[in-house]
Amino acid sequence: MMESWKERALARYQELKKLGKSFFPYIIYKDTVVVFLIFVVVLGLAIVKGAELEEVADPTDTTYNPRPEWYFLFLFQALKYVPGSLEAVAAIILPSLVILLMILLPFIDRGPRRHPFDRPLLTILGIVAIVGFIGLTVVGLESPLLNPVVHKDPQVMAGRKLYADLKCSYCHSINGRGGVAGPDLTTVGSRRERDWFVQHFQSPQRVTPGSVMPRLNLLPEEVDELVAYMMTLGGGGGPFTPKAPHLFQDHCESCHRLDGKGGEIGPDLTTLRTYRDKGFIYGYIQDPKPFNPETSMPGFKGTLTDPEIEDLSRYLLSSKREKK
Amino acid sequence: MKKIVDWFDERIQTREIKETLFDRKIPKGVGWIYALGSASLFLLILQAVTGILLAMSYSAAPDHAYASVQYITEQIPMGAIIRGLHKWGASFMVIVVTLHMIRVYFMGAYKFPRELTWVLGVLIWLVVIGFGFTGYLLPWDQKGYWATMVGANLAGQAPFIGEAASKVLRGGEALGAITLTRFYAIHVLVLPASLLTLVGLHLFLVVRQGISAPPERDKGERS
Ligand code: HEC
Ligand code: HEC
Repeated sequence: MMESWKERALARYQELKKLGKSFFPYIIYKDTVVVFLIFVVVLGLAIVKGAELEEVADPTDTTYNPRPEWYFLFLFQALKYVPGSLEAVAAIILPSLVILLMILLPFIDRGPRRHPFDRPLLTILGIVAIVGFIGLTVVGLESPLLNPVVHKDPQVMAGRKLYADLKCSYCHSINGRGGVAGPDLTTVGSRRERDWFVQHFQSPQRVTPGSVMPRLNLLPEEVDELVAYMMTLGGGGGPFTPKAPHLFQDHCESCHRLDGKGGEIGPDLTTLRTYRDKGFIYGYIQDPKPFNPETSMPGFKGTLTDPEIEDLSRYLLSSKREKK
Repeated sequence: MKKIVDWFDERIQTREIKETLFDRKIPKGVGWIYALGSASLFLLILQAVTGILLAMSYSAAPDHAYASVQYITEQIPMGAIIRGLHKWGASFMVIVVTLHMIRVYFMGAYKFPRELTWVLGVLIWLVVIGFGFTGYLLPWDQKGYWATMVGANLAGQAPFIGEAASKVLRGGEALGAITLTRFYAIHVLVLPASLLTLVGLHLFLVVRQGISAPPERDKGERS
């Protein structure tokens, strides 16, 4: 049997319906006006601002500062306020829970009361959510997102440009893009030493007799630039020493997880190399303050020597590490 | 003209359809803010039309995606405007659908007898966001690529299923050709099919049950 309030609600609805107007033309008219206004605004934006197209995606450019679509900004901004160990909770579990609650809302909030003043708790909750969303989005729009300070190494950038200008990709591929006449360079940075690169670029045939790779007649600084770029390939700033894993164990593991082992106070660093570049990591280990004013991680400038920090950065960036 | 209408009416009772759709009474007090639902429907149509136009010239392979988008922008007549409409239409879609949902939330319109309409609405909202997420990658420019990378990494944080979810999303370990094709298939096949089904059901309920009346203060009635 139907509860009496439901019957009353349905009866009241019929009453109001009788008093109301027909859909056509009265409601249609309002709809048309609103739709027209929205269309004008969208068309205006489409013509004036258009849809931007940035440079073509470059999987090797880890210095790019990612920025999601604006309606995800609030989430990314919110993530900045939670400690790394809770990131999974804040990024996945909490939003999933909110969505679940939203779906279940009509089964949680039942009964005849519909007016916002008759449901103060939900009304306040709704207002808080809206204000929070807008606030976080505004802050997120103003503050850079993930790479707070992007350290683009000018030498590396110049090297990348040279690589494109000299059409190295006719023979080599990086991350699956390019030719196959020469070896794949995706991880070459972790395979070769600096000096090897320099000599090879000066004269491929001297290093690899019979090589078909053309001699490039580069200026010395161009060689340096290309080498700097090559060294960043392989997710790495070059090979690390056997000491690096121990450095990590001694200084970082208490707070950071790496390849499934370590503390939970700071973020898991296993996939760090997919979204941070060397300049960032090196600088962050030295002193995290300039990158993240609210940091709770100590700087290691006095504790570790520069070569040790370099070693650690390479270790974190290396893709070979995980295979061990 | 009348003859044609009659011809159809004799067979499929078009007058009845017109009566249920257009001559239905709307309860007293329904104001401008109720137009948000219709506006969402309009944006859906706009997205479908511009989306189909874009799909005619778009290629979902990493080697060609970017160039094809460039081609659309620079070579196709009105191409830049079509892209602009699709992009801004998408943003407005999210805004308007969300506002529509906020309206229903504060008015308590999700209550008896319209619980199902609300559930379908939340699902529609999720699908709309899914459109945004998958569409962002398609131009294969830096912005889309890295935002998707971050998104996939975030999905990877989920307990238990995280690794698997982010792998399925990307179609492998790295973000590449498979990811792009996969996102495209989701964007133009899976999501549109879901959206049309959900919106169809949602509208059926709206017409069948009538638009909710504006809420009235509780006069102390007990349930
Ligand atoms: C005509 C094709 C060709 C071009 C163009 C070419 N290379 Fe090569 N490259 C090769 C071949 C073949 C090898 C393997 C033999 C050797 O080591 O010299 C090679 C080897 C290399 C290696 C060593 C790879 C390894 O795994 O040991 C590097 C680094 C390299 N090339 C960089 C470049 C750069 C940078 C450019 C552009 C300035 C370039 N190559 C242009 C054909 C080419
Ligand atoms: C006392 C705990 C602690 C120690 C020890 C520690 N960290 Fe951190 N680290 C954190 C926390 C917490 C964060 C999160 C952001 C912040 O507060 O700076 C972080 C952030 C980072 C980041 C930035 C990650 C990102 O995505 O932005 C890097 C890189 C990093 N740590 C590397 C290291 C390395 C390398 C060591 C060892 C030399 C180390 N950390 C030692 C607590 C620590």
